[in-house]
Amino acid sequence: MVLHANNLVKRFGGIVAVNNVSLKINGGEVVGLIGPNGSGKTTLINLVSGFYKPDGGRIVFEGIDITKKEPYERVKLGIARTFQIPRLISNMTALQNVAYAIVGSKRFREKKMTLEEALSEAIYYLDIVGLLRKRDVLVKDLPLYEQRLLELARALATNPRFIMVDEVMAGLNPVEADNVAKLVQRLREEFKLTILWVEHVLRIIMRSVERVLVMNEGKIIAEGPPHEVVKNPVVVKAYIGEEVVL
Amino acid sequence: MVIRVEARRGRLIIHVLNKWRFAWNVEPRYWRNPLIAAILWICLPLLILLMPRGLPIGPTTLLSALFLANVVSISAIAHAFQTIGTGRLNFGPNFFVVVGGYVAALLNKNYGLGPALTFLAAFGITALVGLALSPLTIISRGLYFTLITMILPFIMHELVYWRVDIFGAETGIPGITRLIAVESITDYYIICFYISLAIALTLLFIVDKIFRSRWGFMLGVINEDEDVAASFGIETKKIKVTIFTLTSGVMGISGWLIAHYYGSFAGTLWLDPWLLIFILLSSVIGGKSAIYGSVLGAYFVVLARDMLRPFIGGLALLGLYAVLLAALYLLPEGLWGLYRKPRYREYVPRIYVRRKL
Ligand SMILES: Nc1ncnc2c1ncn2[C@@H]1O[C@H](COP(=O)(O)OP(=O)(O)OP(=O)(O)O)[C@@H](O)[C@H]1O
Ligand SMILES: [Mg+2]
Repeated sequence: MVLHANNLVKRFGGIVAVNNVSLKINGGEVVGLIGPNGSGKTTLINLVSGFYKPDGGRIVFEGIDITKKEPYERVKLGIARTFQIPRLISNMTALQNVAYAIVGSKRFREKKMTLEEALSEAIYYLDIVGLLRKRDVLVKDLPLYEQRLLELARALATNPRFIMVDEVMAGLNPVEADNVAKLVQRLREEFKLTILWVEHVLRIIMRSVERVLVMNEGKIIAEGPPHEVVKNPVVVKAYIGEEVVL
Repeated sequence: MVIRVEARRGRLIIHVLNKWRFAWNVEPRYWRNPLIAAILWICLPLLILLMPRGLPIGPTTLLSALFLANVVSISAIAHAFQTIGTGRLNFGPNFFVVVGGYVAALLNKNYGLGPALTFLAAFGITALVGLALSPLTIISRGLYFTLITMILPFIMHELVYWRVDIFGAETGIPGITRLIAVESITDYYIICFYISLAIALTLLFIVDKIFRSRWGFMLGVINEDEDVAASFGIETKKIKVTIFTLTSGVMGISGWLIAHYYGSFAGTLWLDPWLLIFILLSSVIGGKSAIYGSVLGAYFVVLARDMLRPFIGGLALLGLYAVLLAALYLLPEGLWGLYRKPRYREYVPRIYVRRKL
């Protein structure tokens, strides 16, 4: 098992953003995580990546208890993520944004790499996501679509075994969204990744995932193969009032 | 033809006797600017000695202003570096200067340690004080960090008055060994200028080396977004603590210079906000782009004050303030920005303070 979270709790003041969530993810799986706005999906990612400390529960990654580990240690163990609102360093170029992920990775120290080597390796990851031509463009000059691709390249550069993608397709047009979905699929095969794929609605990741978890108000309310989850009345009820249907 | 000059691809090529060739880049940004700047800096005292007599400001006043500018430069470089490496604005750098000054003064006065030993002690002990305070860079950020560090000089002020027997309140600690024993006062000023210059240049050299290495790159990431840095494997806490500790030590060296230069050290004088203002203004005027700007800034503020003083006397600080406002308006990127502009894509960490608390 790659990831095992047990009874995770995270509170913000009065809000319980993540309420007793337990989940298991096996090696090589692509698991979808969907839920309406504010259901706690991003908070869950933040707990696993170490951004937030949980108020209760335990997280085990590949047999190691990481509940108390710092974010930088978790990356070195092989956990990577992307951000829902791209969080790149806007004063740096695309290339530099991938390079620091390499500098922070475990292999950088183990192989005694230099900064130049890190930069040339970064070129490789930019090429994979198709951003090679934009390597010297400052991130603040990149459109959203390219920032999303760059986020994926940066996450890959840490050499992850498990990657959490947070709404990578939100705000993109259908063509772009489709490209991103295909890219994630391809990366999964090429790099043998285990993926937790967060989306607001199921439709766009329907064909890409094998199993879906549905969150609502901090709790996991349903779980199963995509075509079963769509029909689950509990899930349908959770999405009532939203303009986008499952 | 004995000498032939040819212009090609932005370069002037001079052929002498068809035997030797000298190529010269016309565009200033390809010159060896750091070297040129260092040479100019080294020649400054000569320029002052060559100055005509009878000006409102005499050469000795200027020479001692240059020394002060170097002292402020050293603190400002350390302060700018600290701001970049921790992503936080320390509002009490003069506290660390004064700690270093007292360490040097007290060890010299009470235990007879010479300037060389007090140098090490001032650096070491101030760095330890920095280390003790460094958890602040972990537990607080933004305005809170600024407020907490702002209180440090006031605490020091209290301490100084609490143990007058040790610190000597505003009389200070007299009779400290001078940096160097010479007869002529001009020689003394010049030698002290070069001692402080050597320290400032060494510091710049080290900081420059760090900036160009992977450490500089990581500092840049921490400075821009600490959370991103941590999410991508950079050990932010360790780096912040190290930077805070070392840069505090360097500020202590400024204090050491002051104590041994004047031969007496009154902490209250240096805890007064003007030194703080000088250090902070240096990086604002210099530009937020880099460390080098803070040297320009330090010279600018110190010289502007001393130049304005003969004309507007006690209002020099007010005049300085007006000049500062004009500079901020005319040069949003600071003095350094003028030089950096054509190369903005070459990443150099900029001073940037997160607003988020
Ligand atoms: N840093 C924070 N401080 C306070 N409350 C927060 C914080 N982060 C999240 N919350 C709250 O926790 C709840 C869950 O938020 P979260 O961002 O995890 O939802 P989400 O499922 O990712 O929603 P979306 O689909 O909009 O991205 C929300 O009510 C949100 O307001
Ligand atoms: Mg979210």
